[in-house]
Amino acid sequence: MNTNSNSYVMVFAVTMCVTVSSALAFLATSLKSKQEAAAEFDRQKNVMMAAGLIERGDPRMREDLEKLYADRVKQVVVDTIDGVIVDGEADALNEAAAEKDPEQSGRYRSIEQAMTEGGKLDAIILPVSGKGLWSTCYGYLALAGDKNTVKGIQFYKHGETPGLGGEIENATWTAMWKGKKILDDKGELVSVTVKKGKVDQQKPVEKKHFVDGLAGATITSNGVSKFVLSDLKALGTYLQKK
Amino acid sequence: MTSTAAPETKAPLFGEQEKKAILDPLWDDNPISLQMLGICSALAVTTRLDVSIVMGISVICVMAMANVIISLLRHMIPSKIRIIVQLVVISGAVIIVDQVLRAYAYDLAKQLGVFISLIITNCIVMGRLEAYAMANPPWRSLLDGIGNGLGYAWIICVVGAVREIFGSGKLLGFQVIPDAMYEAGYVNNGLMVLAPGAFILLGVIVWVQRAISGYVEK
Repeated sequence: MNTNSNSYVMVFAVTMCVTVSSALAFLATSLKSKQEAAAEFDRQKNVMMAAGLIERGDPRMREDLEKLYADRVKQVVVDTIDGVIVDGEADALNEAAAEKDPEQSGRYRSIEQAMTEGGKLDAIILPVSGKGLWSTCYGYLALAGDKNTVKGIQFYKHGETPGLGGEIENATWTAMWKGKKILDDKGELVSVTVKKGKVDQQKPVEKKHFVDGLAGATITSNGVSKFVLSDLKALGTYLQKK
Repeated sequence: MTSTAAPETKAPLFGEQEKKAILDPLWDDNPISLQMLGICSALAVTTRLDVSIVMGISVICVMAMANVIISLLRHMIPSKIRIIVQLVVISGAVIIVDQVLRAYAYDLAKQLGVFISLIITNCIVMGRLEAYAMANPPWRSLLDGIGNGLGYAWIICVVGAVREIFGSGKLLGFQVIPDAMYEAGYVNNGLMVLAPGAFILLGVIVWVQRAISGYVEK
């Protein structure tokens, strides 16, 4: 057979593409539920890391951690207009609409609460997400029960440059967020800002509301400041309510 | 689709050529240290040993799969579009590995991130398809794929192990440098976790490997 005739080449190419793509489609569909479960578990781990329930690289088995999440963390829905926790379903978050106008991002937002072993409120964990440089970054910001002090921040999904913007995952950097306040002395929401350069520890305002910038990742740093502020603003009424 | 390969002729299962196919790339014709292929990922994913191991295994799987498939199709592939066909097969194999990792080793898949997908552009894979699988029967191609994958894997594992020990004082996540050393003033070498550390280390490995294997520039 002449394997170089045009018709043979065409038929071969089409057959090849159809075979490979159907094989891949089959594989992707059959692994989908496993992958989603793995991604959900990863999300739960990040919620617990932000809240300080576990450390990064916790050696416990997956079942134990899933049980810990089920026991200690619960999802609640906040009515962002009245600033109270309500029963019911959260609105689906529309990233594109929220980007333009935070008010449009839905009245009912889902947040998570972490409990102490005694069942008292230990931390509230808010989802934060928005544009970095290349990608949308997804993470969790945990506040202590006073709704003011930051307990931790974790990013679990992003497509920033490894070593530069990707350092938002760096444990040393996320540790700097601990203890920062999101409300100023008058109780106004000011959020935590990622500064360009190092925080001046002499200035009380900076010490309270700023963290060091990431070297070589100004746009990612600015992005983080911006979307953390806008996500906190969306929950402003709830956070400022004592 | 075929997954297993049987020897085409009555030749012995492990003849001279078969042995050569699997053993040569391990030492005498190592893809990294002698052919200088696949350097990019060897530098990028070797900050820790566990990541290096997973990357090594992924490359072995991709090379074995792609080599066998191309070898089975070698009489049917039109030479005009053979490079594209090879790429389709490599991409297919890489996506399979990526999907499986995401389902069963999510953390590692996240660590390796884009580098798994970048196996597609790893010159070792395409080099072996073009140079070996297009001209040899499936069984031998399978051995050649595994051999080259192993040749790549052992080097990145050595780099990964050294970088992890000196860069973070650990091996596979367990501390190997005793606390007493740190108390005596020892500090982890920050260079080792950065790309230049990998460059230097890889250079040293290439040098040592070439000195022992007696390589001469042609």
